[in-house]
Amino acid sequence: MSGEKYPFGIKGLVGRGGLLSGGGGVGGMYVGDWRVFTPKIDYEKCTKCWLCVAYCPEAALSKGEEGPQLDPRFCKGCGVCANECPVKAIEMVRE
Amino acid sequence: MPEVDVMPGNKAVAYGVKLSRVKGIALFPITPQTTIVEYLADFIANGELDAEYIHAEGEHTAMGVAIGLSLSGVRAFTATNSQGLAYMHECVAQAPAYRTPLLMAIANRTLGWFWSIQPDYSDVMPELNLGWIIQFVESNQECLDTVIQLYKIAEDKRVLLPAMLCLDGFYLSYSNERVEIPDQEDVDDFLPPYEPKHAVDPTVSDFAPASGLPTQLHTTYRRIYEEILNDAKEVIKEVNEDFGKHFGRTYGNGLIEEYRCEDVDAILVTMGSMTTAARRAIDELQADGHKIGLVRVKTMRPFPSEEFRRLAEEVEAIGVVDRMVLHGTGGGGLGADLKSALYSMEDRPLIINFIAGMGGDDISTMDFRKMGERVLKAVERGRVEREVEYIEHPFKPVSRLVPFKERRVIYPGSGGCTGCGASIIIRHVLDVLGPNTVVVDPPNCAGINYSSVVGVPWILANYAATAGYQTGLYRGYKLKGKADKIHVVSFAGDGGTVDIGLQALSGAAERGESIIWICYDNEAYMNTGIQRSGSTPLYARTTTTPAGRFWRGKRERPKNVPLIMAAHGIPYVATASIAFIPDLRRKIKRAAEITSAGKGLAYIHIQAPCPTGWYYPPEKTVEVARLAVLTGAWPLIEIEEGRVKINVKPKKLRPIKEYLRLQGRFRHLTDEQIEEIQRWVEESWESWLKLEEMGKLPWYR
Repeated sequence: MSGEKYPFGIKGLVGRGGLLSGGGGVGGMYVGDWRVFTPKIDYEKCTKCWLCVAYCPEAALSKGEEGPQLDPRFCKGCGVCANECPVKAIEMVRE
Repeated sequence: MPEVDVMPGNKAVAYGVKLSRVKGIALFPITPQTTIVEYLADFIANGELDAEYIHAEGEHTAMGVAIGLSLSGVRAFTATNSQGLAYMHECVAQAPAYRTPLLMAIANRTLGWFWSIQPDYSDVMPELNLGWIIQFVESNQECLDTVIQLYKIAEDKRVLLPAMLCLDGFYLSYSNERVEIPDQEDVDDFLPPYEPKHAVDPTVSDFAPASGLPTQLHTTYRRIYEEILNDAKEVIKEVNEDFGKHFGRTYGNGLIEEYRCEDVDAILVTMGSMTTAARRAIDELQADGHKIGLVRVKTMRPFPSEEFRRLAEEVEAIGVVDRMVLHGTGGGGLGADLKSALYSMEDRPLIINFIAGMGGDDISTMDFRKMGERVLKAVERGRVEREVEYIEHPFKPVSRLVPFKERRVIYPGSGGCTGCGASIIIRHVLDVLGPNTVVVDPPNCAGINYSSVVGVPWILANYAATAGYQTGLYRGYKLKGKADKIHVVSFAGDGGTVDIGLQALSGAAERGESIIWICYDNEAYMNTGIQRSGSTPLYARTTTTPAGRFWRGKRERPKNVPLIMAAHGIPYVATASIAFIPDLRRKIKRAAEITSAGKGLAYIHIQAPCPTGWYYPPEKTVEVARLAVLTGAWPLIEIEEGRVKINVKPKKLRPIKEYLRLQGRFRHLTDEQIEEIQRWVEESWESWLKLEEMGKLPWYR
């Protein structure tokens, strides 16, 4: 069976980026298509307390100049950010 | 009139158990077996079955419970597979010696080295030769019928051995088929109540089974057991025939089932659910004029050698399809057994051993057709080209990976449920600990969902041995002079911490290993689908503590594991909540400082609200966690060198009702039950206040 091409390069060693892959990943997972509702951020209201960033289960929110920045590729639309925002600056809207 | 329903194989097994009037059920969940015991919990909760239902804290215990039940003289049942079956292995070996006719259902799943929840027979392979009666089934109807048959076989006084019923995970366990449910009276007529002559009951006799033997008797007893197993073949045939008279269904002669084997030159031999596809391939081949038939092995132990010798006299070649590999022998288990059964024949047929369907790989009708054609070719040529052939299929990777240029300890996105509380925890844990971290993880939903998006090594540890893996890694780094630079951290669920993993964790704590143990506690076994754990709160509904006419959720209070850990005298014990992130991050940092200084084990128990298992909308994850702290259901505690501190101390605890009413798992509660939960929370809160007042726990130096 030698000379066969193995999908992960090394014969018999599956690794990196798959289910139960042993960590050592090199990127995030695209989950944008899970979403039904999207957080809409009102930067006028935002006080930059960054609670939404701390609570986001997918790290889809990060700190930005004018407030939290959403990376829609990683947002599942759970709504934790909107629920926790102390000034109600985030609203969940149906896509 | 028997009722007819459409149901998955696991439910058919549960119906078989119910109709057999089983009196004791021992369980520990594992996919794809779990729904068997879930259906049984429903039966008991609704008063359809009267049986003791024992939530073991691991498979090793579950098998112990089943043996104990059987020794006491009641009809016992348990179910498991794969890793769980391997974990209970030594108890499995004990059951035949104690002559305990219990039944264990195995929803087959591959046994790790490479993990998967999909089926093959590598899990049963190590258990084959221990003296159990082992049968494999093909359909959901056969699941139900075989449960009833196996109790009759196992309890027959000529046999008195434990029995295993193997159904393919997913292919049978979760696939729906038409199943006829026999009437209870008919089953009672067929299967009388279990009345053992040799129960361990000191009020009746002084009988107890021997656990040891003089050296010279070991060989003799092995021979005797072989004779019993050989005689069991007759019992199996009798019971199968008798079952046919009662219910109108038989499965071959009970040992093997022949399909279109009249006047053929060759046969294919199969086991389990794959047989259905093989039947269609045989139909096609015979329609094309080929003389090939099919034999399904129903009873694997005792092995039907005589049946195969008879068949072998009539054919020129046999193709054996194996879903298990005996590594290092070059072939499969069924192939090896068949070859050894035929060796004494003078005119042996040609044999090709096909290895197929490992790890749940589908074996299609087309594959069987190809295998059939190979066997027919061997007949034509009078020789076999390759004795063992692997049926392999091309792999097409599907990636949802978004590559990042910069290195991170954890990347965004994951396969976790929407609104997962554990996801918030793992992100903060790794952010605080940094890149020199090794995560050691017993099987749990975090391993499934987050291991693929972390940038640090994530080692999957065998469930009960997690703290063992950690100890080994830590000591290795110590030898290399790097113990202060590398954090060896677990990310265990409540099952891996308070139940199956507690023994190894306790050992590591007592030995003073400087490792961090993080328990993300979602208060049930969420990865297998919401079964009760030792950490599930009082009266919470889970799939193994359902709310029905007779059961109203979990009846016991959860274990206080932080205090159990503090009883070891370890330097740091804390609880944390995702609603209080700065507190959580500070505690992880403190744990890292303590373990880096080599002071001993640091234990952090973090509540991880689970929208899927607690039945609340995903946006409420942090709100639920906050209410848990503010109502006193989840006190935030820190015990450093024995000094107890309550980190968040509301002037007045909010009523527990505010926390409970958000969650579907508490929806069934009566006012009395809510009052009792309130009492429990207050008692626990008072205890912590008293411990804090003490200044330092007295057993700390």
